[in-house]
Amino acid sequence: MLAIKRVPTVVSVNQDCGSVSRDCLQSCFLTGFDLPLFKYTKKMKTTELQLLGDEEVPSSPPTIERSFLGTLLLSKWEERASQGLFRYDVTACESRVLSGNYGFIAQLNEGRHLKKRLTEFRVDQVLQEFDPKKFNFSKVNRNEVLFQFGEGEEAGYYDITPILSSPDFVLINVSPIEYGHVLLVPRLFDFVPQRLCANDLLLALYFTAEVDCPYFRVGYNSLGAFATINHLHFQAYYLAYPFPVECASITRINKGSLKSSLRISELVDYPVKGVVYESMDLNEIAISVASTCQELELRNIPFNLLICDCGTRVFLFPQQALHQVSQKVLDTQVNPAAWEIGGHIVLKRKEDYEHATEEFVTALLAEVSLSDPDFQDVKNIICK
Amino acid sequence: MALQNGSLLSSDRKCVRSPRMKNHKLIVSQSLIRSYRASIQDELQKHAYNFVLCDPGLPDHPIVYASDGFLEMTGYSRDEVLGRNCRFLQGRDTDKRAIVEIREAIREERDCQIKILNYTKAGKPFWNLFHLAPVFSQQDGRVVHFVGVQLPISSKLAARKDGHLTGLELSFDELEFEEHFDNPSCKNYHLSEEDKQRAFAAVKAVLQELANSSCKGVSSMRSKSFSEGVIPPGFVATSLLLALTRIPHSFVLTDPHLPDMPIVHASLEFLELTGYTREEVIGRNCRFLQGPDTDLAPIEELRSSISEGQTCTVRILNYRKNKEPFWNSLHISPVRNSSGKVVSLFLTHSLKCSPFQVAYYAGIQVAVSHSSEEDEGRARMQQLGTLGAIKVAVRSIQTGAVLRKSKTIS
Repeated sequence: MLAIKRVPTVVSVNQDCGSVSRDCLQSCFLTGFDLPLFKYTKKMKTTELQLLGDEEVPSSPPTIERSFLGTLLLSKWEERASQGLFRYDVTACESRVLSGNYGFIAQLNEGRHLKKRLTEFRVDQVLQEFDPKKFNFSKVNRNEVLFQFGEGEEAGYYDITPILSSPDFVLINVSPIEYGHVLLVPRLFDFVPQRLCANDLLLALYFTAEVDCPYFRVGYNSLGAFATINHLHFQAYYLAYPFPVECASITRINKGSLKSSLRISELVDYPVKGVVYESMDLNEIAISVASTCQELELRNIPFNLLICDCGTRVFLFPQQALHQVSQKVLDTQVNPAAWEIGGHIVLKRKEDYEHATEEFVTALLAEVSLSDPDFQDVKNIICK
Repeated sequence: MALQNGSLLSSDRKCVRSPRMKNHKLIVSQSLIRSYRASIQDELQKHAYNFVLCDPGLPDHPIVYASDGFLEMTGYSRDEVLGRNCRFLQGRDTDKRAIVEIREAIREERDCQIKILNYTKAGKPFWNLFHLAPVFSQQDGRVVHFVGVQLPISSKLAARKDGHLTGLELSFDELEFEEHFDNPSCKNYHLSEEDKQRAFAAVKAVLQELANSSCKGVSSMRSKSFSEGVIPPGFVATSLLLALTRIPHSFVLTDPHLPDMPIVHASLEFLELTGYTREEVIGRNCRFLQGPDTDLAPIEELRSSISEGQTCTVRILNYRKNKEPFWNSLHISPVRNSSGKVVSLFLTHSLKCSPFQVAYYAGIQVAVSHSSEEDEGRARMQQLGTLGAIKVAVRSIQTGAVLRKSKTIS
């Protein structure tokens, strides 16, 4: 059994109640419910438009301005904040950059973590069956749903539409790490457990690309790598500061080819071993990353993903399956998930925040990093 | 050079200008005029160095001046580079670490000297000794421009034993470009002290020129009192500025801790909407937008909300610089300080006071027709979305630069 203590956090106000409330998303879906809808199109991604320059007219101009999705997301989030739907005001949380080589960002967030435990699932198994009795996103309060996200022939925004037949949703996280913290839940009503496939990852990449902001990053935690809910979801938030992992040195591990612009590199001199996939072609990244992750899932290797640079860079951090963690680390109740490994550390206790150092964070993150031989196995999978 | 977005355009060599810089020629010339005499371009022309000036207060931190040497070195025309971010110099094999170092130096408002792989317009890679230096305003301590000097390094030069001639003085044709950028003799080329000194000298000369030509006073260093923690009113750190200039809507940030709550930042779209220049609005209270037919009711509502530290939305008649009136759906909101501490008492002319960690008061403008329901919904989304983006920007952590300390108003 895993020795690291899992820290319960709440992403929805309904997470703790046993019964299905009348206002939850599931009930509203059955009775009919209107939500805003943002449609993105896979045609003519905005990066291609940019390359045309000012003088040329793109053949199919977008019907909505670039990064409208960002404006939509922020405005809905701000609305929810003014309605008091978040458990605390994240803009009042202190942050500082720890001095040293990496520039880890520490945040003091006393409100995020709960004292009591929530119902949980096994944490040593990456693939687990969906359990409808446990909390899932159909049980969120309807107010926690910001909008639906879907693909269409033409990009567009619709203020009020009935729920689509197989909708993807963007929800708020009521215990935000940073401003704009949301959950992206692909095909919510398919009730898929937390496991990755290329199409779902591609949705997350398109989502990131549509927001079109380098401060907006999307993360994924597998079971066993500190995912809190076994219902397929990604998380995202804004941070106007570079993540330390984005600045780390990398060295290429895949061969270049004429057919593909995909570059896969490994992190050099970073506390956690990991790889990064880079390409302007989102499809390519999705297929390659998902295929590796599925292999990791089969081998019961937990992992985290961090999607950066508007979807063109994806970091993959495989984690140790079983390990001993020092008591000192356990007491801080910091779980090294995607954000933490990326370099954004949320601390719950004031003394930890005030005395946090780069050494402390490096030691914490190193606890979950794979050993050299195990990481070599992962690289072999990638370069097969 | 200056970048906000780390993505690399992998193969395309075309320059890209931010779509918000439609009027770039005017904006770029204004950037120079606001800080220096009109003759600055002629003064700078006299120097044979390869260098650019960039303005962090404009969207995407664009180039506002490029020397002839820079254009010759890179193969672009002046019109192709003005108003554009320097990332067009990077290519697929440019080391990300080098980009990161430059980015950190910009955020921390300090010098940096680094070897980086750049590409000409034709796509040829070359090693570049790049030196970045900030130009500070003596009035409010802000960085008004960044100077970037380039000294191309060639392996042919590396092989030279005498090492006297460097890229600064060689003409473009004489520099030999490597066939393969990772020519070992160049990667391991240890920058000689002489190279470094030449880069320093170039930067110093350019900075001197700017200081001499400056109308309001600029210098390569901040005032001593600034380093001791005395922050001039209206100071906005570059890291915050870079985040704010990403927001493509009309808004202002005002400082409620300063007398009469002046504007400390105005977005490009605000300037375009109202017809004023940056100089004409920074330091002034927003009431200059009001005019003869502006109702008193919305003004009173704004005043009352501000005194309580509340948000509010009003529809108010405002006037452009050319006296043309327009209906403004104005949304104001306090923006909290990310340090989390109570930094000041928010005291206004009312008798009430409350401890409130307010960093700025944001004002977001949407031009609307007099009365339209559809406009209401669209305006609201614009306002809240912009407010959210401002909150994200204000939460950018300022490292290196001294944090603003607000004074207690008693």
